[in-house]
This record gives sequence, structure tokens and C-alpha cells, in this order.
Amino acid sequence: MPVPAHHIVATPPPFDAPPYPADIFAGQTVLVTGGGSGMGLAMAKAFAQGGANVAVMGRSIERAQEGAAEIAALGVRTHAMSCDVRLPEAVAAAFDEAEEALGPIDLLANNAGANFPVLAEDISPNAWNAVTRIAIDGTFLCSTEYARRRIKAGKGGAVVNNSAQYIWTGFPGDAHSAAAKTAQATMTKKLAADWAPYGIRVNAIAAGFFPHASSNAGNREEGIEPLQNMIPAGRTGSIWEFGWLSAMTCTPIFGSMTGQVIVQDGGESLRRSLRMPDYVSPRERADGPWGWK
Amino acid sequence: MNGWLAGKRATIEGDSPAIAKAFKAAGATLVESEADIWVHVAPPTPVKPAHDLSHDEWRASMDAGLDRRFLGAKDFAAACRARRQGGAVLFVGAPEQALGADQAAAAGALGNLTKTLGVEWARDGVRVNSILTRETGETLGHLAAYLASDYAAYVTGAVMGITLDD
Repeated sequence: MPVPAHHIVATPPPFDAPPYPADIFAGQTVLVTGGGSGMGLAMAKAFAQGGANVAVMGRSIERAQEGAAEIAALGVRTHAMSCDVRLPEAVAAAFDEAEEALGPIDLLANNAGANFPVLAEDISPNAWNAVTRIAIDGTFLCSTEYARRRIKAGKGGAVVNNSAQYIWTGFPGDAHSAAAKTAQATMTKKLAADWAPYGIRVNAIAAGFFPHASSNAGNREEGIEPLQNMIPAGRTGSIWEFGWLSAMTCTPIFGSMTGQVIVQDGGESLRRSLRMPDYVSPRERADGPWGWK
Repeated sequence: MNGWLAGKRATIEGDSPAIAKAFKAAGATLVESEADIWVHVAPPTPVKPAHDLSHDEWRASMDAGLDRRFLGAKDFAAACRARRQGGAVLFVGAPEQALGADQAAAAGALGNLTKTLGVEWARDGVRVNSILTRETGETLGHLAAYLASDYAAYVTGAVMGITLDD
């Protein structure tokens, strides 16, 4: 059902009106993992809107290059790289490559992740390992590589992690990602504590539903229009407002903030009533574990 | 923060120089009524072991930390509905475990109230969020201004801190 016309839906400013000046990251370089598409690309564009040069890391070099071209169109320098964030040597080599191309990495955005609807009993060891290790080990390896370099240089910094709105409730039909995204949030707090003495801040955004070209959840014949009314806010998220909040945690505007997990989901994770539609097991849903294919 | 709150009218109940300064810098007009934004800042309560708290002291903490916040938000949301305009509510105070048992109760209740009202009033365009922190400086002001602004249009029912101690 469409959102009733008499409901009031809060909307953000347009993409070309970011919440910070165009030079807030001037002279800085950010490395964005998974930055070639989707939410990572939105993060990367938000940093670029503040003047940061962007190292775009992706599993696929082609996708990283495509993303980098979109980011470069905003007027910053970019460098596209391919890297498997599960491999510590590969992560170290990618940081070396990025620093050679763009200079020291001042900021880090951990976005690399994979996700797809699947019944728990159908998750193969390979699929489990892929989803959990890209998010959990990848965030750990990239963050520690970053922090060691910052600490050695005697400089502070900021890290932002892309977590998810279902980290406290679980997500039936998505067990691998439910585990992985919560690990990202809980490690955020501990990494922030470990690196506070070095002036490195670490925060996370527990993101709701921000449809984009490569999101599984938006893959419906009808598009995303029928999904707006299921969110308390009356709409799915605009991907640039996710990018902006992510980038903003790395600015001096929120200079004292660290160890925080900020939920940005239009109230989606908080829906609750005593009487709800009948529970349907993910196994018995007519159109897939998420309720649609 | 230039222009984050341009054209917005805000009421700040309670004392937070950092929030007042940030709101003005972001372009808001501070008003006593007819506001688009209602911020409630609860003063820190005295730290005492629970067995030394009188019922009057307990009640005073609940009044300031919970009851007044609910009733004030309710009035604000009603005014928004009457005008057929959205709005933003922001509760600011100490974290749950920062002070005494009175604060633990009030802040815990407030956190779940924030989540509840954020969803209950979502389709009125009224967003509800909380900052529970010991921080009183610039970042508090800036974060409050962000949450009150349209840039946080997709943030509602959220409870957050600022520092590691929060």
C-alpha cells in the first residue's frame, strides 16, 4: 500500500547540499573498503563532497574503477584497487598501494560486505565464511592495519564502520549477516577504547534500508515503491543521507564522538505491536527467506 | 553546520550552553512556544547510594528525568499535529549508569520511551531521539543540532552517547 497522503514524511536535503563545507576533508585521504558500489560508494561520495581524496577498495577491480570514476567526477583524486580484505598480506599491500598513489591514509571507512537471503540450513561453510569473514575479519584487518600506521606516524584519525539495523534483534533468513554485522558494532566500541589514547576515533552506523543498484532487498519487479509504507518513517532511506552521517562521524564537527553505534533506520527496527500478522518461518515463506526473492 | 536549522524555531528546556550556541550558529531561532524543535535537557542528579535516597529525592529525579520529558514531548507533538507539520524532539541527559539508581531508572525508561515515541509519532513527521552522555562541550551541541535538523530525517527512535564512558 502507498503511504497515506495525510501522513507527514520527513525528508533530507538533496544530494548537492551536504551538511559540511566542501573543504572539511581537504588534504586528507580516505580509504573506503567496498567503495565501488552501493553503500560504500555512498560513503565514498560523501567524503569526496568534503574534499577528501578517495582510495576505493573492492573485490572486483572493474567495479572499484567504475565507482572511482563516479567519485572523481566530484572533483577529487581517486585510486581504485582490488583486495580481498580477509587476507592480512593483501590488506597491507593495498594500503601500501593506496598510500603510494594518494599519500597517507588519514581516514578509514569499512564497508566491504556481502549479504543475501538464505535459510540457515542452506548456508554452506563457504558461504558462512565468506559473509562473516569479509565483515568481521575484514573490518579487523583493515582497521588494525590503519591504526598501526597512524600510531607509528604519531597521528590520530577516524574510522567508520557500516553496521546494520538488525544487530540487536537477529534477522531470521539472514543468519550469516546477523552475526557479522553485530560483530562490527561490538568491535567498534572496543577498538574505540583501545585507540582512544592515540586519538583515533571509531564509530559505526547501524543502517536501515537504503536501496541502491546492487541491493538484494530492492530486487522486486515492482521496484521499491511498495516498500515505503512498511517503514515507520514512511520511506526507505536516501543513500546520500547514510553517506553523510558516516562521513560526518569522521569530521571535527563530531570531534569528541567515539565508540558509538548510531541507528539510522527510519524506526524500522523498532516496529512492534502485540498483535501482528501470523509468524511465518523463513523456510515456509512463499517468496524466499526475506519475504521476497 | 551552516544553515542546518535555518528557519527553524527551537525551544530548549533546561540548561545546555553548548546546545544553545550550536542551535544559534546553525540558524535556529530560540523561542518559548510554537517551536519546530523541542529539546529537554535534564540536570544531573546528586550521586547517592540507593539506600540513602529519600522518596522525595527519588521522585524529583523521576519528575525531571522522565515525567516532565514525556509530558513536554506529548504537548509538543500535539502542537505539531495541530499545525499539520512535523517536528523534532531531543532528550539530553546523563547515561544510565553514570549517577545513582534514580538516574538508572529514569534514563532506562527514557531510552525505551524514545524508541516508542519515535515510531508512534513517525507518521506525524515527529522524530524523537536521545543523547545520553557526560559530554557538555561542542560535540554535544553539534550532535544535537544534527539530530534536530532535516539532515537526520531518517534518524528516529535512536539513543546514542558521545564518549567511551557513555
